[in-house]
Amino acid sequence: MAATDSTKPQARRADRTKYWFLGPAVIWILVFTIFPLLYALYTSFFSFRFGRINQFVGLANFGRLFTDANLHNGLRVTLTFVIVTVTIEMLAGFGLALLLNREMRGKNILRAIMILPLFATPVAMGYLGITLFYEINGPVNELIRAFGGTDIPWLSNPFWAQVAIILIDIWQWTPFVFLVSLAALQGLPADLFEAAEVDGASGWQSFRRITLPLMTPVLWLILLLRMVEAFKVFDIPTSLTLGGPGRATEVYSLFTYRTALRFFDHGYAAAQGFLLLVIVSLIVALLFGQIRSIYQEERG
Amino acid sequence: MRRKTSPVQSIIIGVVMFVALLWVLFPFYWAFLNSIKKPADTFRAGAWVPFLQFQPTLEHWISELSIIEIRQALLNSTIISLGAATLSVLLGTAAAYALARFRFGKSGNANFTTWFISQRILPPVVVVIPFFLIMRQLQLLDNVFSLVLLNATFTLPFPVIILSQMIRELPQELEEAAYVDGATVFQGFTRVVLPLILPGLVATWIICMAFSWNEFLFALSLTTKSAIPMPVIIAGAEHTRGVQFWFVGVRVMLTMLPPIVFALLAQRYIIRGLTLGAVKG
Repeated sequence: MAATDSTKPQARRADRTKYWFLGPAVIWILVFTIFPLLYALYTSFFSFRFGRINQFVGLANFGRLFTDANLHNGLRVTLTFVIVTVTIEMLAGFGLALLLNREMRGKNILRAIMILPLFATPVAMGYLGITLFYEINGPVNELIRAFGGTDIPWLSNPFWAQVAIILIDIWQWTPFVFLVSLAALQGLPADLFEAAEVDGASGWQSFRRITLPLMTPVLWLILLLRMVEAFKVFDIPTSLTLGGPGRATEVYSLFTYRTALRFFDHGYAAAQGFLLLVIVSLIVALLFGQIRSIYQEERG
Repeated sequence: MRRKTSPVQSIIIGVVMFVALLWVLFPFYWAFLNSIKKPADTFRAGAWVPFLQFQPTLEHWISELSIIEIRQALLNSTIISLGAATLSVLLGTAAAYALARFRFGKSGNANFTTWFISQRILPPVVVVIPFFLIMRQLQLLDNVFSLVLLNATFTLPFPVIILSQMIRELPQELEEAAYVDGATVFQGFTRVVLPLILPGLVATWIICMAFSWNEFLFALSLTTKSAIPMPVIIAGAEHTRGVQFWFVGVRVMLTMLPPIVFALLAQRYIIRGLTLGAVKG
């Protein structure tokens, strides 16, 4: 795009200047992510005592990853959370976008309202959840009773506590899937659909043969972004349930946080962090192939 | 796709939209409602409309805003989000310009872009431990400065991605004309490009502020007292005190309002930002 013809004087000048533009950001990231990552790797080879490095233990911290039942619990809780939230958010968000992808009044207001949950402080939503899911006369239970149901022990029952954190995440991120899908749907070439209609294609046929194939890369991208974010989940369970009751909502990040900053077992916490990084990176590697075409234009 | 909508369909669409909007707006209304209810009214069923069903009050807002810790937290959150967003946009805009206008080797531009994007993949809990140890070493624990630095780092992908796309969309002839008039590359950037991308730049800055304001894990790990921002104030306090709906309401509103207002101001660029530039919305 920026054809640098080195015979032009301004191009030669640019050759030196360009590093001044890019350099600071690159150095910044090196200092604040690559260096801490290396430091975490170093930390993971040591045992800690009273929050200070104690002694070199080799791969012992990584060995503990395989036998720690509480860590496995955290992984299981997180995986359940990721699978359930992302599935529901994808289906509901994309479905809603398909339904509302038409000329209608109030589209801008709808969009503005749908943006709100994306920026509602997650930890505040968890905190508000304590009152929303309040067992005696909380609004959610009141609604359930209005429809003839019985009170649900939201925060004192392990199963329902998981449902509660899942519901808040769904509230927060379904609009994201909706907005991105809607934006992508509206970017699809209208003439394709007109041609299909002229050829007598039914609504289902043009959805199956045109909409879905064209939307596939975007849907993969949304899936990737949502999964990566969902694996990081920390704020909502920390403020809504404190990981409880018991360890029913103690997600991976919360367990690692506690290992590091409550039990000051920094070496082991660092090893846990790397396991999470490996899991997330594998998912990204698996899914990224599917979405590469979207970023293709950047690679010119 | 653009087929005619039958009356039955429009009714279904109307109902779905109504339910969706109710679902999205209800928690906000609930928080607001509790913040203006007298304690006795929060336990009473059927108090949904102020003035008609209950007498609203501002006493909780006043009493919460007079708590020193909360004022300090609001101030800390403001410093952290302003500082982090400004740093992030400064570094990011320059990098965005470089990636949009110059070539870095054969596939350097694409690689750098991917590298910046990959910041969003890194789970924060992986780096929170080294940050904690490093900041302790530097005596920067419980200091807003450390949170400014970290939030600037984790919001840096937004300006890089959003603004490099915007700059690519500008015709390069504009800068070339300035070069002919004797402008340096730096002047071409500040006098020609910057004014043209200003709306996007401001929007990106606002998005970075919202993200920094909402950030919780680093804030929780690196602050103990004087540097605590709003999200940390909110976490967990009520578990020990018993739930007082009216205070929950005020604190939730105080924490959520700024990022939500920011989001509305930067609407046009949010899809682009959140999909890391892949969908323009």
